[in-house]
Amino acid sequence: MDAKYSDPRKIFGAAVCEEAAKNPNIVAMSADSGGSSGLSGFKKDFPERYFEFGIMEQGVVGIASGLAATGRVPVFCAIAPFVTARPFEMFRNDVGYMRQNVKIVGRNCGISYSDLGSTHHSLEDFAIVRMIPGVAVMAPQDPEEIKSAVRAMLRHTGPVYMRIGNEPIPELFEPGPFVIGKGRVLREGGDVTIISTGSLTGAAMEAARLLADEKIDARLVGMPTVWPIDRELVIDCARKTGRIVTLEEHYVIGGLGTIIQETASEECPIPVKKLGIPHTYATSGPYRELLAYYGLDPAGIAKSVREFAKG
Amino acid sequence: MPVKPEAVKELEREAAKCRRNIVRMIRSGGAGHMGGAMSCMDILTALYFRVMNIDPKDPRKPDRDRFIMSAGHKCMAQYAALAERGFFDKSLLDTYGKLGTKLPGHPDMHKLPGVEANTGALGHGLSISVGMAIGLRGSGARVFTVMGDGELPEGSNWEAAAAAAHYGLENLTALVDDNGLQISGRTAEVMNMEPIGRRFAAFGWAARDIDGNDMSQVVEALENLPLEKSRPTAIIAHTVKSKGLTFAEGKTEYHYWKPNDGELSAAERELDEAIRIGGAL
Repeated sequence: MDAKYSDPRKIFGAAVCEEAAKNPNIVAMSADSGGSSGLSGFKKDFPERYFEFGIMEQGVVGIASGLAATGRVPVFCAIAPFVTARPFEMFRNDVGYMRQNVKIVGRNCGISYSDLGSTHHSLEDFAIVRMIPGVAVMAPQDPEEIKSAVRAMLRHTGPVYMRIGNEPIPELFEPGPFVIGKGRVLREGGDVTIISTGSLTGAAMEAARLLADEKIDARLVGMPTVWPIDRELVIDCARKTGRIVTLEEHYVIGGLGTIIQETASEECPIPVKKLGIPHTYATSGPYRELLAYYGLDPAGIAKSVREFAKG
Repeated sequence: MPVKPEAVKELEREAAKCRRNIVRMIRSGGAGHMGGAMSCMDILTALYFRVMNIDPKDPRKPDRDRFIMSAGHKCMAQYAALAERGFFDKSLLDTYGKLGTKLPGHPDMHKLPGVEANTGALGHGLSISVGMAIGLRGSGARVFTVMGDGELPEGSNWEAAAAAAHYGLENLTALVDDNGLQISGRTAEVMNMEPIGRRFAAFGWAARDIDGNDMSQVVEALENLPLEKSRPTAIIAHTVKSKGLTFAEGKTEYHYWKPNDGELSAAERELDEAIRIGGAL
């Protein structure tokens, strides 16, 4: 595949700058994390709107709430577990419960800080953040979608959690408008549906091609908003293909897979196979090897889907 | 400049009326975090009746001063002041503790005008206040935050304290309601955070100690802000828990008060009398 690869953090930072040029209320917050979050350009272009706090993520989330209460639109990006698990109560009370217009972005999501170990992996962020009422949870899938997701996030009034990776990612599909809460059919097929989100959708597309060679016709859905879920599309997949495989760089419990199961079981109960990281402290190593170890490379995904589709 | 005695007297009377409102809420709900609400009542009275730029008819006006009750369980003091100041009808006080009340046991900004933050979990208010103070720099609006001495061990307070000093937030004033008691006993024995003023000073704040139940001292401190240019101010207000109710003053067990009818009537009588004679307790 001859695709152009881009660093998701740089794409993210540039997209924030583009919006900040139009909206003077947008401010960036850093917990010694701005530069590595792609926000060096923001600091250069809008120095009076860039706030450094050093390493104090709980403080930053609370401070973001206060800033939002004065009309600012704070964007706080740092390593995913440090903006979700660590300041969870500040996210829940100061941002969620206070309904503040704060945008929290977890970078190096999933196991993409592969060799740094479990303290730096983020495998429960979908599960815990979706429990905060009123927070949209987004995981855009390719460079153009990161741009449109950032635009949608910053034009939406209300708290948002977005997660991005750090590995360069290829362009996957024709750009389209980003609507929070909507998924998109990337490939039609009638045997089984694969619903994927975030960093793994590229691998899902390749897996679908491998399966097509074996005459397994998979429908593929990209789901860049994990919560609120695109209920209509999930039910449609359940009705049309009767089986769904979910794919996420997250624990197999609590995230996209669980959400799809909950949704399907209420209106159209069908077998759902959840692919992701088992509920344990993941091992460490080079990112691509780690994904393959957990069966999240194209061959591994194709193998799981093949077995499930036949079952 | 010393505060005029008549003005002090008038504020003392308002404080007594606010304390009476607290007891009214407890009669409605049957119980509540009384001790801390009473200890900080003089501070809130000075803020709401004299110091803060606020308008009950326009509670969201952009240039208003902000009040954050970091120790959210003391919210009855805030409800009492807001009601007395006309932010909402006093009949709402009689819904305290009832299903669907706009006056929950910890404040909710979406339910009641004049409430700026949803506090209750301790150690959150100062961070929210720092964000507001940064956002309001240059506007003339100020931020006042009441903290409890018992919440000071929460580490998040000190993250916020560092940030406030780093950004030179002279429009931010933290008032520590230092009543010296918390649920488990004396604060200094539960987790000693003394000397509180020096700790804030070490973080880059200007700090001073006052008697937080002496209205003239409270007003004098609040009318001479900031204490130092380009620094946030910490006022360590030494107070008496349950101030105003003789039988409960300085006693840990009145942190959360579930009174019997005799106690409740005694409280009402004492505060009615305080209002009648003009306030000073």
